[in-house]
Amino acid sequence: MIQHLLDGILIGAILSLGAIGLTMVMHMLRFANFSHAELLSIGAYAALVFDKLFKVLMPVLADQIGPLSMTWALVLAIVLSMALTGASAVLFDRLVFRRVREKGEELSMVFASFGLALIVRNVIGLVFGLHTQLYSQDIVFAVVLSRDPLLLVKPDQLAALAATLAIMAALHLVLSRTTFGYALRAVAENPVLAQVNGIDLRRMIVIVWLLGGGLASLAGVFYGLSNQISPVIGRDLVLPIFAATIVGGIGSIYGAVLGGFIVGIAANLALFVLPSGYSPSVPFLIIIAVLLLRPNGLFGEART
Amino acid sequence: MKRRISTRAGLTLGTALGMAVLAGGAAAQDCTTKVGAVLPTSVDWGRPIAETAQFVVDQVNEAGGVAGCRIEMVLRDTQVDPKVGVDAAKALVDLDGVQVLLGAVSSGVSMPILTSVTVPGKVMQMSCCSSSTAFTTLAEEGKAGGLWFRTFATTGVQAAVGAKVAADQGYKSVAILYKNDDWGQDLGKLIASDFEALGIEVTASVAINDGQPSFRAEVTEAMAGNPDALYLGLYPNEGTAAVREWLSLGGTQNMILANSLKSDEFRDNVGLQYLGNALGTDTASPRVASADAFVERYKARFDSEPNGPGLANSYDATMIALLAMEAAGKDATGEEIAAQVSRVTDPEGTPVTADAEGFAAARQVLADGGSVMYQGATGNVRFDANGDVSAPAVVWSFTESGTEEVQYLSLDEVDGFIASLK
Repeated sequence: MIQHLLDGILIGAILSLGAIGLTMVMHMLRFANFSHAELLSIGAYAALVFDKLFKVLMPVLADQIGPLSMTWALVLAIVLSMALTGASAVLFDRLVFRRVREKGEELSMVFASFGLALIVRNVIGLVFGLHTQLYSQDIVFAVVLSRDPLLLVKPDQLAALAATLAIMAALHLVLSRTTFGYALRAVAENPVLAQVNGIDLRRMIVIVWLLGGGLASLAGVFYGLSNQISPVIGRDLVLPIFAATIVGGIGSIYGAVLGGFIVGIAANLALFVLPSGYSPSVPFLIIIAVLLLRPNGLFGEART
Repeated sequence: MKRRISTRAGLTLGTALGMAVLAGGAAAQDCTTKVGAVLPTSVDWGRPIAETAQFVVDQVNEAGGVAGCRIEMVLRDTQVDPKVGVDAAKALVDLDGVQVLLGAVSSGVSMPILTSVTVPGKVMQMSCCSSSTAFTTLAEEGKAGGLWFRTFATTGVQAAVGAKVAADQGYKSVAILYKNDDWGQDLGKLIASDFEALGIEVTASVAINDGQPSFRAEVTEAMAGNPDALYLGLYPNEGTAAVREWLSLGGTQNMILANSLKSDEFRDNVGLQYLGNALGTDTASPRVASADAFVERYKARFDSEPNGPGLANSYDATMIALLAMEAAGKDATGEEIAAQVSRVTDPEGTPVTADAEGFAAARQVLADGGSVMYQGATGNVRFDANGDVSAPAVVWSFTESGTEEVQYLSLDEVDGFIASLK
């Protein structure tokens, strides 16, 4: 039981990272971006490439950090990958979403995001192949946290959880204590009024994409570390991430964080109730339950 | 402009060549009998299966065709999609009027074709590659109308050999992870009952859905009973993730693997150092002369080894279907042809080889009212009452360069072991 709870939190951290970006984009640009999860794939593969590159260029970095399977090369690669993924999110906005936003309506944006997701997924498949890949072939054995009840945790996952919490705390400070944070919230609240007050809407949109892409990249790498990397990461995670966003309430960053943990824990605990064959239904069930009980999510506000 | 002319010239040349070939064929026999084939030609491993079937048809035509008529195989693609496969089969039965349908490959495609096209249409269906035991159940219930045959051993063989490995290794308890699709559920159920028949405790049987954010919960559940060994009925993709999770949580390295995990990707991503106690199972080609003869014939024709899945099975499926058509005589219905299958695979019959000469020899024997024993690419094929065949099996393990055979179980050993489970 406690083991399942812990596993859920570890998976939830990854979903939260993905959901933060999604909820910000959904709130500001007012459309359900189905291509958001593909940013996780981009991040995971970008880190894979940079990681290999660094290991060749600077063999010093190829040593593992303490008990982790992560190397310093991978840490550097993650930073670069976050930047690259953020940049590609901005690029997608320039190429696709901005044009559709100017000419089409909300629904066109949703369809455009579907199309973009397909393109990104298949291009990754074309370039890297459909087989699964790993950052490190070594299997890092789980550490026993306690004997009774038996609690096993992989060091990588703890590191990922710690990093996630640190980033969330930083994000919280930025949003609540800086002018930039107010500006961001103002734009989300009412774009026209925000512009009247001298906020550059275009700049804010770029920043939201950069942030969302960067966090998604981090989620992709953490997922690749604890699982494996394949071109269908995005497809596999799009639903849980959406569930997390909806549970938390669209637009609420804290809601997204909490939603991620709720979905992760629920999916793990579901095995007590459901046969294992039905576990993919859990995100759907959560979405339905939330929409029935609190249509705007836990932290969301009604919006016309 | 220039390109257009050359295209047209090419077309004309092609048409002329085609006509010449057709004319040549038609000169030998003045009638044509169609057989249908529904195979996944749009996937890379499906095309060789279809080419092998066509290879058989060519040889039979070379030997003078079936019942005095030239055979034309009308091939349609299934795209490994049940809907497309049923449409293709319907078109072949209704429009082309075929009495014999070859295919499909996947059980999930063959099944709807059988229940909604061939059984209602009273057409014989012969699959090269479907392994689900759902067909056995259907035949036992009498719903296949005696029209269903397959030259591919059922999942039952794979499961039984997996259970035998566990017993031979002395494992007392086993946890099962199976893929949550038709094949995996079938395999999971079969091996669980085989384990029980051998007195091996099944501590957990857990379905694995592909594309999950994490397999942690499933693996933890499988680990709960602290089993001696782990049985894996998974594909390499989710298999790698599940096994890495299993090992990192301190699970046993005693593993039994289904043939689907016989893959370099799985070995490399899990790591050979953890697979020392992993034993795999697979069905095998029989070690008989007729199987070697098939390999030689295949190499002579296609200039490559018959390494893809289902090639020997496709060869035998086609040849047996055509032999049965020969035995049933001209303009026979699907039911009449299906009734003749036992006469061309009769263990007491005159042995015939699986080539043009063999077909001509069989024609002679059948015309005299005798029966023949077909000796094919998968050995002396013998169908049971449900249209199923058995197969020899191998136990294999991973090595640096691929896999190596640990043990070979002949057809008699496999059949004997399966009988002992019941």
